[in-house]
Amino acid sequence: MTDGDPALSSQQDQPGVPPPASGSEPGPELAAGRQLSERIARQFGRSLHIRTLDTGSCAACEQEIRLLAAPHYDLNRLGFFFTPAPRHADLLMVTGPMVRAFDVAARKTYEAMPGPKIVVATGACALGGVYQPDAFVHGSVAEILPVDVWIPGCPPSPLALLQGLLVAVDRLAEKVGGLSFAADETQEAAQ
Amino acid sequence: MALWFLRGLRRGVVTTGYPARSDDSAARLPTPPAFRPAALDRSTADRLVAVCPSLALRREADVLVFDVGACTACGRCQDAVPGAAAPSGEFELAATSRAHLVKRIPLLREAGT
Repeated sequence: MTDGDPALSSQQDQPGVPPPASGSEPGPELAAGRQLSERIARQFGRSLHIRTLDTGSCAACEQEIRLLAAPHYDLNRLGFFFTPAPRHADLLMVTGPMVRAFDVAARKTYEAMPGPKIVVATGACALGGVYQPDAFVHGSVAEILPVDVWIPGCPPSPLALLQGLLVAVDRLAEKVGGLSFAADETQEAAQ
Repeated sequence: MALWFLRGLRRGVVTTGYPARSDDSAARLPTPPAFRPAALDRSTADRLVAVCPSLALRREADVLVFDVGACTACGRCQDAVPGAAAPSGEFELAATSRAHLVKRIPLLREAGT
């Protein structure tokens, strides 16, 4: 416990220690970053342990996350396991709009995880949709933790979560980047 | 218990084959809408923006900006402007970048002000 205290106090001195969201920032480090992400994907290609973190969610997301272990979805067959301890976790699934009262706990959870680690923002609240930043919430998980994968949905269905986990470990390609969400006119005419 | 076991053996497994085989059960749940650009001008887009409870929609000149990450698939936009939006049926929405979830849908120019 004592070795954790200096790290925590230094964190409180400078708010927002973890880097901001891993967006599409261009730069010379891009190639090195890509190499690193490939290496991480190789390391995460085996079994993976998940810690869930509720930062003020309504528990709908938690309910869907729990369903992942049900026989129909059975995430253990894909090598994913839930763990109660962040020290055993490779992946942090964060739900909720990041309540400000949870800042220290969220940072401690993230710091406690061994590297390399993945943060998955789960649900519309965590992605910055439902709650705007105010005195009580940050409004988005990315304000506090460096998010790697974003899973939309209110709540995301277990299959959507499963796809998000597989995207996070690079076993499935991201699909949404290529979608336009504008209905295809030729398809309309054919109907 | 024994009956369930025998039935399970006879029918095979209940587990989805999802990553290997497609599973459309999630597509029947509420999904974010897909918009029809042909049915959208500035006034209808403004009505959609006004009705969205999770601030997933906003209008920038002749473009409707749809933040899929903020959408809760409530369906209010489909009710507000019939024909302008319909469930997309997409559930594989995980993104590696937040910007990938923001969609820009062009509006009809001539119908605008």
